[in-house]
Amino acid sequence: MSDNHDTVAVEEETEVHFDPIVKLEAVQVKTHEEEEDSIFQMRAKLFRFDKEANEWKERGTGEVKFLQHKESKKIRLLMRRDRTLKICANHYITSEMTLTPNIGSDRSWVWNVTADSSDECTGPQTLAIRFANADFAATFKKEFETAQKNNADLTVNAEEKETKDAEEKEETKEAEEKKEEKKEEEKKEESA
Amino acid sequence: MADQTPTFKLVLVGDGGTGKTTFVKRHLTGEFEKKYIATLGVEVHPLSFTTNFGQIIFNTWDTAGQEKFGGLRDGYYINGQCGIIMFDLTSRITYKNVPNWHRDLVRVCENIPIVLCGNKVDIKERKVKPKAIDFHRKKSLQYYDISAKSNYNFEKPFLWLARKLAGHQDLEFVAAPALAPAEVAVDPALMEQYKEELNSAAQMPLPEEDDDL
Repeated sequence: MSDNHDTVAVEEETEVHFDPIVKLEAVQVKTHEEEEDSIFQMRAKLFRFDKEANEWKERGTGEVKFLQHKESKKIRLLMRRDRTLKICANHYITSEMTLTPNIGSDRSWVWNVTADSSDECTGPQTLAIRFANADFAATFKKEFETAQKNNADLTVNAEEKETKDAEEKEETKEAEEKKEEKKEEEKKEESA
Repeated sequence: MADQTPTFKLVLVGDGGTGKTTFVKRHLTGEFEKKYIATLGVEVHPLSFTTNFGQIIFNTWDTAGQEKFGGLRDGYYINGQCGIIMFDLTSRITYKNVPNWHRDLVRVCENIPIVLCGNKVDIKERKVKPKAIDFHRKKSLQYYDISAKSNYNFEKPFLWLARKLAGHQDLEFVAAPALAPAEVAVDPALMEQYKEELNSAAQMPLPEEDDDL
């Protein structure tokens, strides 16, 4: 496209000066991905379902990534649009999600998100993602399901730990109560 | 971080049907609207960008291009800090009208950075050839061929304006902060409803397949 000067204008920078109207300092912008490892990445096009219009609307084209938190080990899906790098999808990969094929496409998946934390469109969303080919789509599904299992195991482990902690607390409490009782008895004996 | 995000009033003008609203929507939600619905009066949308100089917002005044839908009152232009004039590369008349839009804009907003955009470069039947586009040279505007459909150069107008307004030629767009997503308790009744929605959405084919993946 860029080679044909008859069909596309050559980019030129116009030499013109304006006095800046704001004074901005260079800053180091945090991506909030610093505490995570990227464990999967693939180019894709994302859509959201617009219920009112009853049609799919594009959300963006870019890299979809699975990011695993270094400490909690929890995995989220994050996607940014090319060039403006705005966030078009940002949610944890949870076990309620089911990747469902889209009619007439062998390289797309549809799924529900109860809370998408992306730019401009937050809240519950029905999303669809399309890849270059069916193989890529299959790889995505496999990785997605592995991430679901990982996150589900984390929840189970956390719950088990909670129950265990609660049980232990209960035990210490019982032991302390017994001690108290014993003391009371001893006191009674003494006074008797 | 600054207490207040630097915000600029951007006035977006050009003939009706050149793709102003579609261009704004593309930046706002990512969608590409094919249907033509003429804008009435003006719609103001905040378009935010994350840069290596912090976050900035263009309060974009997307105006009615069609005279019969109100024309443009001076109020739309007042306090405009930057501008985009759009025309359609497949329609010569929309380029011919560019000087009129420019005259109206600079009458109210003197000496502001302005980008001229030739939209719909994705369409093969280009009518306004690159050699024919010279208005920007006379008036010191920046020019870009763009496509709201293919996203060709779609970030360039904002990038050029941001560099001029901030006085930093090294300003770039950087990754927006991706905060940890929300965690929601699962409500079984709601999940049932979502499942139904998912099934009907899955039966609806996705838009055209000519993407660059």
